[in-house]
Amino acid sequence: MAGNFWQSSHHQQWILDKQDLIRDRQHDLNILTDEEYQKIFNFFASIIQVLGEQLKLRQQVIATATVYFKRFYARNSLKCIDPLLLAPTCVFLASKVEEFGVISNSRLITTCQTVIKNKFSYAYGQQEFPYRTNHILECEFYLLENLDCCLIVYQPYRPLLLFVQDIGQDDQLLTYAWRIVNDSLRTDVSLLFPPYQIAISALHIACVMLGKENLKPWFAELNVDMDKIQEIVRSIINIYEMWKSYDEKKEIQGLLGKMPKPKPAPQR
Amino acid sequence: MQKYEKLEKIGEGTYGTVFKAKNKETHEIVALKRVRLDDDDEGVPSSALREICLLKELKHKNIVRLYDVLHSEKKLTLVFEHCDQDLKKYFDSLNGEIDLDVVKSFMYQLLRGLAFCHSHNVLHRDLKPQNLLINKNGELKLADFGLARAFGIPVKCYSAEVVTLWYRPPDVLFGAKLYTTSIDMWSAGCIFAELANSGRPLFPGSDVDDQLKRIFKMLGTPNEESWPGVTQLPDYKPLPIYQPSLGLAQVVPRLSQRGRDLLSKLLACNPALRMPADETMAHAYFHDLNPSVKNDRC
Repeated sequence: MAGNFWQSSHHQQWILDKQDLIRDRQHDLNILTDEEYQKIFNFFASIIQVLGEQLKLRQQVIATATVYFKRFYARNSLKCIDPLLLAPTCVFLASKVEEFGVISNSRLITTCQTVIKNKFSYAYGQQEFPYRTNHILECEFYLLENLDCCLIVYQPYRPLLLFVQDIGQDDQLLTYAWRIVNDSLRTDVSLLFPPYQIAISALHIACVMLGKENLKPWFAELNVDMDKIQEIVRSIINIYEMWKSYDEKKEIQGLLGKMPKPKPAPQR
Repeated sequence: MQKYEKLEKIGEGTYGTVFKAKNKETHEIVALKRVRLDDDDEGVPSSALREICLLKELKHKNIVRLYDVLHSEKKLTLVFEHCDQDLKKYFDSLNGEIDLDVVKSFMYQLLRGLAFCHSHNVLHRDLKPQNLLINKNGELKLADFGLARAFGIPVKCYSAEVVTLWYRPPDVLFGAKLYTTSIDMWSAGCIFAELANSGRPLFPGSDVDDQLKRIFKMLGTPNEESWPGVTQLPDYKPLPIYQPSLGLAQVVPRLSQRGRDLLSKLLACNPALRMPADETMAHAYFHDLNPSVKNDRC
């Protein structure tokens, strides 16, 4: 669905206003600080990323799953659905929509069990992944409804490739910017800004990291709102700053304990 | 589901039963497509998801509207705009020959809907009279996007088993894996001829070989010169060398010279030579189209 972002449901329904987003999160932010909230999302974005990598999904599918996850909680409290259930459901739905092919549900559950046990034991200890196929299928309905069936998500990867082509192929620049786009999934920018602006921001950060002064004229010639770019850049830099002083392995159990939870625990 | 009263069964779609129903509050007539969730492992079927997410993006006068998606216990129901009949039924109900202005109007609307899909990088892949809906006002709408897909870059391998045989282009019949919007343009050409002949299918083949022979008997057997790369296609097989036998004047005798010219640009065996949808709308055949059809806003 390239090239028609402006007429898309992504543009028309899912570029949110920052004030609205803050308001809709108020319930959770009465319990968690803004930073704690970001850390919890960072953690679940990691789960989606690792799950996707284990299932050998393309980054595009992983990114779409992460955006579904963020869109859901942009309109709902964390207590509506346990994010540990929603995360694999997003992966399941995104792989179908992106036509990666259906991941068999039993394979998904097995992968969740392995990933939680082997990679995230620092968060869940000896606790096993508690959900089964029927939970995922039920959750898929709920997710679909909350996304208002808007399933096609535009990602910054394609505009990024085009921009780098325009600059003159530079593999190092592309690699850096690509990773920064991946990191941007840990922030709210995919809910607030069009993907091409995120791509430009990632390029901007990459240029600074690589000390590429010579690209200043290229940026200057872009017909783009530089205030928006600066805002995106700040959001991404903020998360890099946070990572410097944050030890997820030590803190995440406490954060998950504090997180608002659904009332009835799932049946094992 | 309380909102709708089921009236009658309309048919079976790609992935579920379709009912005509009435919105109890507004009395609006809609079509309900019940999605079967019988495969426990797949959840919502990919074909239904594809239709949902594409129709969510494609809002156009010549594309059937998806109003709503209803969820209930283990069931998903898609609520569509209702049209009185499909083109197949329209043909069946014809008494004698079709009005040539209707042919032009339907064809234009079909191409306009296709141009919109293609500009949104969506291939329909399963165009046939049963998937073209017609309402009382003579409006035509593309429906059944269960096999449609968004195409991105790069184009991957799509399964070869997609288009109903009769409307399938020779490249797909030869097992081409990388197909593009040109697949829909061939189908549009077949439908154009069928329209002009008041519902007589152009190439009613019984199997792949028969289908190819029927096509080549009319248009001539392609070779490396007329279609570079044809012999390299996965399922290519040498077929009898037919010379283009019948002129289109004999194939679609009622169609005007301009109409035949447009048809020849859609029915090109070499997919690279098929005219794209947006260009077809500017073809001379449509110069005298009823302005009310042309100017209709989405």
